[in-house]
Order: sequence, then C-alpha cells, then structure tokens
Amino acid sequence: MIYKCKNCGGNTVYSPDKHSMYCPFCDSLGSAERTDESLGGITVCPSCGGEVRLEAHTSATRCPSCDCYLILNERVEGEYAPKTIIPFQLGKETCKNSIREKFKKFRFAPTDFLSEAKLNEMQGVYVPFWFYDYDTRWDFQAEGTKVRVWTSGSTEYTETSVYDVRRDMDIQFSQIPVDASEQMPDDVMDLVEPFDYKQMIDFNPEYMSGFYAEKYNMLSDAVEGRAKKKMSDDAEQLLKNTYSGYGSMKVLHKDLQLRGSHSDYGLLPVWRYIYKYNGVDYPFYVNGQTGKIVGNPPTSVKKVWAYTGTLWACLTAILTLILTLGANL
Amino acid sequence: MGNDYKKEARRQYFKYFCGWFIAVGVLLIVVIAVVGVKTFLNNRPRGNNMAPEERVYDYADVLTDAEEEKLRSQIAKAEKKLRMDIVIVTIDQSVEGWEAAREYGYRSDDWEVNMQDLADDFWDENGYGYNKSYEGDGVLLLHNWYEDENGSQNGEHISTSGRAEDSLSIYDLDQILYPVDRYYNTDTYKAYSEFVNAVENRLDISVGFDFSNLLGAICPSTIVAFIYAIVNLRQSKAKDTTAVNAYVVGGKPVMNAQRDELLRKSVTKRHISTSSGGGGGGGSSHSGGGGHHHSSSGASHGGTSHRH
Repeated sequence: MIYKCKNCGGNTVYSPDKHSMYCPFCDSLGSAERTDESLGGITVCPSCGGEVRLEAHTSATRCPSCDCYLILNERVEGEYAPKTIIPFQLGKETCKNSIREKFKKFRFAPTDFLSEAKLNEMQGVYVPFWFYDYDTRWDFQAEGTKVRVWTSGSTEYTETSVYDVRRDMDIQFSQIPVDASEQMPDDVMDLVEPFDYKQMIDFNPEYMSGFYAEKYNMLSDAVEGRAKKKMSDDAEQLLKNTYSGYGSMKVLHKDLQLRGSHSDYGLLPVWRYIYKYNGVDYPFYVNGQTGKIVGNPPTSVKKVWAYTGTLWACLTAILTLILTLGANL
Repeated sequence: MGNDYKKEARRQYFKYFCGWFIAVGVLLIVVIAVVGVKTFLNNRPRGNNMAPEERVYDYADVLTDAEEEKLRSQIAKAEKKLRMDIVIVTIDQSVEGWEAAREYGYRSDDWEVNMQDLADDFWDENGYGYNKSYEGDGVLLLHNWYEDENGSQNGEHISTSGRAEDSLSIYDLDQILYPVDRYYNTDTYKAYSEFVNAVENRLDISVGFDFSNLLGAICPSTIVAFIYAIVNLRQSKAKDTTAVNAYVVGGKPVMNAQRDELLRKSVTKRHISTSSGGGGGGGSSHSGGGGHHHSSSGASHGGTSHRH
C-alpha cells in the first residue's frame, strides 16, 4: 500500500513532530489516502517504475528513485499483522540534534561523523517485537539473620537474631519486549529500552509511511527464552527487595511458579544511523520514543595524535617560557 | 566533499587550540622583552668611579704577591660578568672581648657583631658598589686569622650590599663561605679563589635560554598530555536503564503473605583491649633571611659569619 495526498497526489508520511499524516509536497495535514494495491513481491516501484530491492523480511521501505514510501500489505496483514505499535515520537531532526549533543565533546571522532550529510543517512525503522505477559507467584521461605553490634564501656556486644522469613507474592508481568528481528542485535535492542507503553496504540499501517519496517522473522517460541530470563531476573530482584534488611539469608524453599503466559506481536520505533569508517560499520540506535542513544563512535588516530601532540607542544612551550622567564627575572 | 571535511577539521583544530596558541605567543613576546631589557641593563657601564681599584687587602699576610695578583685578575673577570664588586680582606686582630673592644673601639665584645661591623664599615668607608658608592651592588669577604694564648678567633664574615643583599639568602651565603671553611688551613689561595667562583655561581645574571628548562617542562607536559588523551578517549557506554518493575502491572508485586518471625536471639560479649598512643613529638623551626641589617653609616647590608 501507498499513502497519497488527496490534494496533490504526493506521498504522505507520518510526521512524529506533527503527530499526524503529512504531505511534504503541499504541506497538507490529514490528507492521506490509502491506495490498497498489493505490492507483494514487487521489484519495481508502483509509483515511478523505478527498481526496488526488498529484503526477505522488509515490510516497509522507500523507493530509491522517487522517495515514495511503500508498505507491503502481505507483511503487515494476516499472520504478520502487528497488534500494537508505538508511533515515532521523535523526528529525524530531533534525533540528529540528540546525537550531535551527546557526541560533540568526543574530540577524537572523525570530522564527518556528526556532519549533516552523514546524519541524514539516519533511517527510522519499526522493529518487530514480541511482547510477553506472565502471571507468576513467588513461594519463598528462608532463615534471615540480623546482626547488631554495640559497645558499652570496654565490652563489645554482638546480638545475632534469626528470623523465619516467608514471602508469598504475585507478580504480573506485562509486555516484556523481545525483538523478533535477526538483523537487529539483541543486546543493543535491550539497551534501547525502555519504551513508554502509554503511547502504545492499536496497529495502523499509516504510521509506517515515512519509515522502514520489518515483519517478525523470529518466531515467538524461538525468542521466549530471553523474555523468561528478563522476567526471572526482575522477579528475583523484586523478591530480594522485600528482605533487604537482613544481613544474610539461608534459603529453605524458593519457587517461582509460572501460572500463565501470553504473547503479542507489535512494532517499536528505532532510529538507525550506520556510520562507516575505514571499512567498518559503527551502528547507532536511538529510541524513537525516548531518544535514548546506544552506540559509540570510532576514534580517529590522526586526531588523537594531532590534538594530544599539539597540547603537549603548547604545554612544553608554555612551561619552558615560564621557567625561562623566572630565571631571567 | 573530502576537502570540505579537511577544512572543517582544520577549523575545529584551530578553534580548539586558539587560546593555547595565543598564550604561547604572548609568553614568547614577554620573554623576549624581559631578556632584551635585562641584556640592556647588563650592558650598562660601571656607575661608581669613587671606589678604589684594589680588591684584595691581605692585612694578615696569608697570600703571596703572586697569589694576590691572580686573585685580582680572577675578581676583575668575575666583576665584569656579574656587574658587582667583590672585595677580599684578611686581618689578624682580636675582635672579641671587652679588652679588644676598648682597644679598637668596637661597640660590642661579641666576635660576630664586631666582624660584621668591620666588614660593613670597610665596604661603606671605601665606597664600594658596582653601580653606586652607597648601597651599591657587591660582596665583601672579611677573614680574621687572629690567634692568641686564649684561643683562635679564626673565621670569616661575608657582607653583601645592593643586588647581592637582595638575591642571596642565608643558605646561599653559607654555600658561598663553604670553600673558605674547607680550604683556608690547607690552601689559602684556593679558599679565596673558590669563594669568588661560588659568588659567581650564585649571582649569575647571564640571560638567554637554558636547555634544562626545556627538559624540566617535558616531563609534566607529557604526563598532562597522556591524561588528556586517556580522558578524551574514554567513552561512556549505554547503560541498562530499564527499571526492575518496568513491566510489572501496578509497578509492584502483590504480597499475599509476609512473615518475619523471630526464631532465636543470641548475644556474645568481647572485651576490648585499649592502648593509648604516645605524645606528640617536638618540632623545630628555622628562620632567617639574608641576614639583613644596617651598618653604622646607615647603609643596608646582608651577611653571615662562620667561625672556625
């Protein structure tokens, strides 16, 4: 499908800044009209006839010839229909400024790293995620020890108290996210979190116009292990928080029961900036909702030598001149 | 495009180091100006033509005529270089006790006070000083060789005036007198010759660049540059900012049952052995400057004495 402007026929896109469909050709808001022609298996752009290369899991892309954003019906409908989506809340310019602000003090980055031309290569991508709900219950019993030490006169007293500690508590986990993309690195996607689910809404393909997207290409069962790991880590920490006053704990019984689970499929917004330097890719990912940045720029060895060497030379010159001045005064 | 980035890199570089380059330039100008002024001052002609030309007064007769001539020649060279007068006086007369005070009209019976008075007065009365005859620049060594049946009064006093008084601390004066202490009873000429050398070393006013300053600057600047590189190379990695309860409905668990019941309690005692530390140690203090005082003529002098 393609979203076109009712007024001028241009390709309309979702604007994160205006929170609405927007036509960049005639500045119209809310003038988007969906053309429902199927694009399954296309190799040419239906808008201009230019060649379009699709990856195996691409569900939304841009025609390199006419910059028209194309959404593939078959990859956002049926079994691939996302239940929910968080639309992009931060536009490209905002993210570019965030990256500039974060890395402007890193002097040894290559000069073009923060250039307008390079940052313009940044792409907004809807990443497929599985969201898991878990209904869990902790059954915990232990002997907790508290030690109190005080001094009276020349005698030190140590009081050791042992308690019977029991916890029976329910923890309802909702929408633990795990990315369902082979292309996206799992550790980076974990670091891009958290997302604010208050802005999560029912899926509507119009939010994809103006961005790139993938359909899920890892099944829920294949990635659920990561969700369970997140769930059990959090559950463990939440349990520990309830007995933090004890010095030591001798566990007698500990059982985390999983009473129910459920998973849904949705899309989350991420800005991706791949900076190439000396033949190596340096990827940056920005949470398209919160602006959190994950990634580190490369170091220009030339700059390290130039800046450090100049600083060294200036300092040496200044100290030498000061010492010479002192000796001649 | 590549050239644009090179231009931008150069612009950023010069913007970043602009302050440093200005600082180096300003300091360089100041150093050149100071060296220039000092060179000009050093090349000024002698300003005092009132003082006698004699520099070695061997009243104690401890030097041969040839040794005196050699010393005069050495002092003449040193004076030209330092632009200060250097005078050596040897005497052989009692300067201690009331009997000596009455005989010579000293104001005190103290050896050190009288040596100082004699040295200062000799300088003032002869009008020594390279630049002027009152409080002019220079040093005078007075060495007393007197010995009688009551004991030895051998020792020396150095009197300083003008720039020498301002420049030399008590430590410097002790160092200058050290060769006299070391050689006076084995090689008198060497004792005075080394004295002149020591004065020359301590009051060197030569201008220009000293290579040791560059070596002294390299070490700290290398350390700072190294720290700068380390600090700027360090990058903070993204942290896991997802709260432990981020995906928990209601933000916290629902506690069905919670029990913290005391099972047993025990108390143990331990005697603490105390020991008191010793008292504080003593201290010592040193004070002093260049031995500043005023002579009977009112002129300001510095100086110190060594008695053997």
